[in-house]
Amino acid sequence: MSKPDLTLHQEVHALYIDHYGWLQGWIRRKLGNAFDANDMAQDVFMRLLLRKQPVQAHQPRAFLSTIAHGFVVEHWRRRELELAWQETLASWPAPEAPPPESRLIFLETLIEIDRTLDALKPMVRNAFLMAQLDGLTCPQIAEQIGVSLATVERYIAKALRHCYALRFEP
Amino acid sequence: MHSTSAANTQPQNDNPDIPSSAALPDDIIDAAITWSIKLDYNEANEDIKRRFEDWLRANPMHAVAWERIHSLRHSFSDTSAPSAIVISAMEHADQQRHQSLLKRRKTIQLLSLATLAIGTGWLMRAQLPWQRLTADASTGIGEQRTLQLADGTELILNTDTAIRTDLSGENRIILLLRGEIMVKTGTDMHHAEKRPFLVYTSFGKMQALGTRFTVRLATEGALISVQEHAVALYPAQSKASYVVKANESRWLRESGTEPANLQGMDAGSWVHGVISGNNIRLADLLAELARYRMGHISCAPEIADLRVSGLFHIKDTDKTLQFLAHTQPISLSYRTRLWVSVGPANTDSDALL
Repeated sequence: MSKPDLTLHQEVHALYIDHYGWLQGWIRRKLGNAFDANDMAQDVFMRLLLRKQPVQAHQPRAFLSTIAHGFVVEHWRRRELELAWQETLASWPAPEAPPPESRLIFLETLIEIDRTLDALKPMVRNAFLMAQLDGLTCPQIAEQIGVSLATVERYIAKALRHCYALRFEP
Repeated sequence: MHSTSAANTQPQNDNPDIPSSAALPDDIIDAAITWSIKLDYNEANEDIKRRFEDWLRANPMHAVAWERIHSLRHSFSDTSAPSAIVISAMEHADQQRHQSLLKRRKTIQLLSLATLAIGTGWLMRAQLPWQRLTADASTGIGEQRTLQLADGTELILNTDTAIRTDLSGENRIILLLRGEIMVKTGTDMHHAEKRPFLVYTSFGKMQALGTRFTVRLATEGALISVQEHAVALYPAQSKASYVVKANESRWLRESGTEPANLQGMDAGSWVHGVISGNNIRLADLLAELARYRMGHISCAPEIADLRVSGLFHIKDTDKTLQFLAHTQPISLSYRTRLWVSVGPANTDSDALL
């Protein structure tokens, strides 16, 4: 273990000793669930170790809760999506629904899609998904959703610019 | 499925000046997107393909931009499900996020009600101990919920409704924050004397005089319809109280009360899962149906004044819309599951004759 790694470990360890209990309580209040709160508090400290940057927080609790807040938001988004996925499967005609064994894998893809396209307006997102998933061309999409070809092309351009920024402009 | 000759073009990024992670100028990225839309998302003809090749060779940065944009064509394409099911799941998620947003707004609304109470005095502390209002209940869009209160009162919450209740004091109190409720007052048998039953809204309060009635909040006032016995209305900023009798409807506004016109619709039929009425303007019916579904129903002016009568189910508004399309000279077009345009019936077939 290199010198900076060692210092980071000591620093995180000290934070862990002083604030782990507090952080766990903070998360539990947000989630209403002690079991997930334990895991999530662990994840927060794991994140600090993986960042490989000295923490040096002047207000450690504000710092820890900022990171934890990100996890909590992610957790709720995931829960919402899981629920939405179950609702969709429940209302979907049986022969067209994905087979049970691929549903869980598919949920992961859905989470990925949601994370990538969340910032887009629903119409833009829907048009882009029709292009990507079904391989439809712009005129075909225009016909299906009942807007002009120019509008669909604008939607696709918007989505592409967004995906480009996510992938290539960190 | 997506292959074009452009897709087979492998631009060679062998220019040592441009590292693969380089930031590119916006106009070049936009140009690459425009080409991708022509080649990857449309059927491109030979002329377009030739012009694309020229553009690609004109500048080494063009090739880098193209490589990146073209690689996006296949993002998510290994997803085995059709887009319809993904879009449906996303729309369900949108709906849930919308609901939790509404919940947060309701909290804010309650806080501003409290501020209003201090500010204008219409909710005097002695009148309405809002800080003791403990129990609360709400419904989302399209939901209904029946509550049995401790005093025997039955409360039915219509779509998109939020209330608070307090039965612990000298009065039995309901605070209607949003939406619509039906009240069937109970006998309050656990109290030696039957306590007054009051419903508060931001426009004023009302007292049930042993009864069954509905209260609906609108932006311009609260609409009270009495099914049995009577309800006394007390506007927030006026002493002009009014007693509404059975089968009457009336607006309660801050400064007074006035008779209400229900546009042919029966008050309280939602309790039975329907909108019922006679000679209802189609535009009014669609606006009423829209309360029970997420998203948007637009109504073309040509058909707004059509008149309809009967029972219209609110539990499955898509079915009701289809029913209307079968029985009326109208057509539906779904932009998405959540966005329906109602217009005049398609006369294309007539034009062909």
